Amino acid sequence: MPLRLTSRSALGLILPLLLALAWEIAVRSGHAAGRLLPPPTRIWTTLSALARSGDLWPHVAATAGRVGLGFGFGAGAGLVTGLAASWSPLLRRLIDPTLQGLRAVPSLAWVPLFLLWLGIFETAKIALIAVGVFFPVYLGVIGAVLGIDRKIIEVGRIYRLTPLRLARRILLPAILPSLLVALRTGLGLGWMFVVAAEYMGASEGIGYLLVDGQQLGKPDQIIAAILVFALLGKLADGLLVALFKPFLRWQDSYRGG
Amino acid sequence: MLPSLLLRGVTKTYDPAFPLVLGGIDLAVRQGEMLAIVGGSGCGKSTLLRLIAGLDSPSSGEVLVEGECVRGPHPAIGLVFQEPRLLPWLSVAQNVEFGLQDLPRDESERRGAEALDRVGLTAQAAAWPHQLSGGQAQRAALARALVTRPKVLLLDEPFSALDALTRADLQDHLLDLWGFDRPTLVLVTHDIEEALVLADRVVTLRAHPGRIETEQEVTLPRPRDRDHPAFEVAKRRLRASLNGALTPPQAARSLAS
Repeated sequence: MPLRLTSRSALGLILPLLLALAWEIAVRSGHAAGRLLPPPTRIWTTLSALARSGDLWPHVAATAGRVGLGFGFGAGAGLVTGLAASWSPLLRRLIDPTLQGLRAVPSLAWVPLFLLWLGIFETAKIALIAVGVFFPVYLGVIGAVLGIDRKIIEVGRIYRLTPLRLARRILLPAILPSLLVALRTGLGLGWMFVVAAEYMGASEGIGYLLVDGQQLGKPDQIIAAILVFALLGKLADGLLVALFKPFLRWQDSYRGG
Repeated sequence: MLPSLLLRGVTKTYDPAFPLVLGGIDLAVRQGEMLAIVGGSGCGKSTLLRLIAGLDSPSSGEVLVEGECVRGPHPAIGLVFQEPRLLPWLSVAQNVEFGLQDLPRDESERRGAEALDRVGLTAQAAAWPHQLSGGQAQRAALARALVTRPKVLLLDEPFSALDALTRADLQDHLLDLWGFDRPTLVLVTHDIEEALVLADRVVTLRAHPGRIETEQEVTLPRPRDRDHPAFEVAKRRLRASLNGALTPPQAARSLAS
């Protein structure tokens, strides 16, 4: 029998809640030290103290701002480059091998180079995030455009659509679902890259809280920061999906639910 | 009177190393006539239709629609493919109105509603294409092709992907639809019965290279009765000439009854 959405979410929460409860009991009863992995209540206390004192929000704003700007530049560049490369086979043959080579570089390997070129402040961080976001969006756009059903394009030809109209009325709606997937992937990577960027030298941000927690021996702060990252990432992803939702209504019933 | 459609010495080849796909087609179709082109797979009948539609150009010879040389898709030509090819992100009504974008909104909506009513899909106007059955989707494709009031309607095996019952139903439906504006109709099919139910004239095409093998007028009274003995006789005659088209070329150009 199909479960309702709320029942399905509730089932998913059972395991983490049980584990949290078990750990809480273990620490309280003295069976576990709770030094390296604090019990949930202590993590919660740390987090709410940060929030109430107002200290949390500048960090959230700093991190979210970096991700936002980096995503904007990276996704924008990925979109434009991807569209250009799918439009012109010559261009694709020219730039794709180079881009694939650059893509093979592990993300963290860029950090020392960017720090050297762009300094230790915001530019280097945003550039790092933009690089991380660029590749999945670029690849996703090319895949989406090259995967468009030729038969649908022929419908546009039959109705003598100008290239601009063809792009607007057929190409764009056709790639929108895959584009959303590419953007969500890029955004996810953006959050990953911001951790790397803030880890390597920041005076504020959720990643800074991570480093600070490690250096001062505050595991509850580390885990609190991890939870904030998870929450922010989920919110950002939800926002992106919500932005695209009005244009993807036609897919809803297609998935059967 | 000017023929609606005229093909003179039309040949088509994709690769000079291989035999001609079409080897010299001469064909004249009268205004308002219904012509069926019948042939086995690979005889070039779909290629021929694409040349008439302007999706492809002949290697030599010319295609004239309403006296004008075809250089590309033409507003006077409507086309229905084997698959409905509805745009998944548009509702059924929006799909039907697709070719009317240059008209004012209320005009295109009125004509779209009229076309939907004629194919019996008024109730599905707001539905998504994936919610339609195969027969419904093909009816929507028909409505989309007819809503622009083409002078020439081309159909490339429009019902071959449907089950036998739906096929017979849509064949009858097509005749009703044709009755409104009486466009010139060119139907490509491998279904002998379909050709005889719909057409005034049937042309058989031979493969390698594609050439017109036989031409015969269908003199059965309308509405065509599939169960009438004369229909069966016509079927046998057509099947015989079709089988003849599958063997080396014969001296006779058309069959006397």
